[in-house]
Amino acid sequence: MARSTTKDAQALFHSLRSAYSATPTNLKIIDLYVIFAVLTAIIQVGYMAIVGSFPFNSFLSGVLSCVGTAVLAVCLRIQVNKENKEFKDLPPERAFADFVLCNLVLHLVIINFMG
Amino acid sequence: MSRFVVFLTLIALLPTLSFSFSPENPTDRRILVLLDDISLKSSHSLFFKSLQSRGFELEFKLADDPKISLQRYGQYLYDGLILFSPTIERFGGSVDLAAILDFVDSGHDLIMSADVSASDLIREIATECGVEFDEDPAAMVIDHTSFAVSDTEGDHTLIVSDDFIKSDVILGKEKIEAPVLFRGIGHSTNPANSLVLKALSASPAAYSANPKSKLSNPPSLTGSAISLVSVVQARNNARVLISGSLSMFSNRLFRSGVQKAGSSTKHEKSGNEQFLTELSRWVFHERGHLKAVNVSHHNVGEADEPSMYRIKDDLEYSVEIYEWSGTSWEPYIAEDVQVQFYMMSPYVLKTLSTNQKGLYYTAFKVPDVYGVFQFKVEYQRLGYTSLSLSKQIPVRPFRHNEYERFITAAFPYYGSSFTMMAGFFIFSIVYLYNK
Repeated sequence: MARSTTKDAQALFHSLRSAYSATPTNLKIIDLYVIFAVLTAIIQVGYMAIVGSFPFNSFLSGVLSCVGTAVLAVCLRIQVNKENKEFKDLPPERAFADFVLCNLVLHLVIINFMG
Repeated sequence: MSRFVVFLTLIALLPTLSFSFSPENPTDRRILVLLDDISLKSSHSLFFKSLQSRGFELEFKLADDPKISLQRYGQYLYDGLILFSPTIERFGGSVDLAAILDFVDSGHDLIMSADVSASDLIREIATECGVEFDEDPAAMVIDHTSFAVSDTEGDHTLIVSDDFIKSDVILGKEKIEAPVLFRGIGHSTNPANSLVLKALSASPAAYSANPKSKLSNPPSLTGSAISLVSVVQARNNARVLISGSLSMFSNRLFRSGVQKAGSSTKHEKSGNEQFLTELSRWVFHERGHLKAVNVSHHNVGEADEPSMYRIKDDLEYSVEIYEWSGTSWEPYIAEDVQVQFYMMSPYVLKTLSTNQKGLYYTAFKVPDVYGVFQFKVEYQRLGYTSLSLSKQIPVRPFRHNEYERFITAAFPYYGSSFTMMAGFFIFSIVYLYNK
């Protein structure tokens, strides 16, 4: 019984990997960026759990920068993905320009709130 | 012409001003002595002379003299009052119970003595001051173990006591060697009242009863609870001396030798003169009168007083305390003056250090609480006037730009946000120039 579940898990993993490798490169770059942002957020939450939330505004600001970055990157990925029917008519340059502007606003807010 | 006359009268009044009690010169000057028998002036002359030799002006009047009055047009004519009239039922002139109590309430001092068959008026004055005489009008203090040995077999009403209050301020630095002779009525004080002190208590074997009749029920006042001489220091620093014996002040008892029953030591002179003279010094503010001046506080490093402090400031507080020596202000030296930084409860309580010249100072950090604080000095010691100083000062929190700038604990967060910015930059380059 255990053997079949591990074999099923392995089969599932392999199929996911092969499906993923079919995605275009620019989407993979975005995915890497998202993972980087989420990792940084997790590191900060771990640090706060150890040290305590003394400058709470700084903690929030740091976590928000990571989370906001991840959210904006995901939005870019949705808009740029050619398989997405909803954004068929949206030029990817427009999507990238929106991404850059939103990031500028995000970092401005972060620096202000950091204290 | 009329202006000239007014000017002259004003100049004539100037000398009287220098002789009156004032905060700069707190020893009383003009004392009114009310006697119920004019022979008291000579039979108690030693006591009066000791007062006059110290510079007091005594004015002797009979207690029922219709012209006596304590004040005229709202100004008090005397700084102190001595009542040696135990049997007086009603004072003459405008003096009555209310006038005497107002006199004490306005900060003036009082020496009063009751004796056997004290009148109700005298008892009432004493009760208002916190001292309760025995209700039986014929009662005297009797002590069968501590009476004065005399040639005739007495009824043991002339008693001997050396149970003095332990205070150098009230009784002077010199120890009173000989015991004190007393013949009169006893009184009790409420132990819960901290303003009334027993200057001379009776021995544990004393009791208050009528010496001429047999005791039908146990006496109400017994033992060391009987006070023979009490002093009261009111909250406005007026001082009152209440004694149960007028003969205690007399020349006869001042000069007589004393031998306590059961002891073999015979003292040539009783302790009455020293005891009462020292007490009168204390009552008339020649000793134990403090004043606190020059309260100042400022930030460390600055000289002038700010109108407001910030939390976690360092500040210094100083006050000067002087004691009146009878003729001049001397620096007061003590180790236990404390200052509180108070808002509903003391956040900081520090003992002030002294430079031995009357300056008391300390430094501390303002607590991390903002609000309106007070610098409070509450100093109440046995025999000294009470000091109650209070200075209000607000304390504000940090301004927007006074917080810590770069907090070490937050460096990871600073680091992460800058990393995100760098990551965004690198990502956009890679994304755009990726083939």
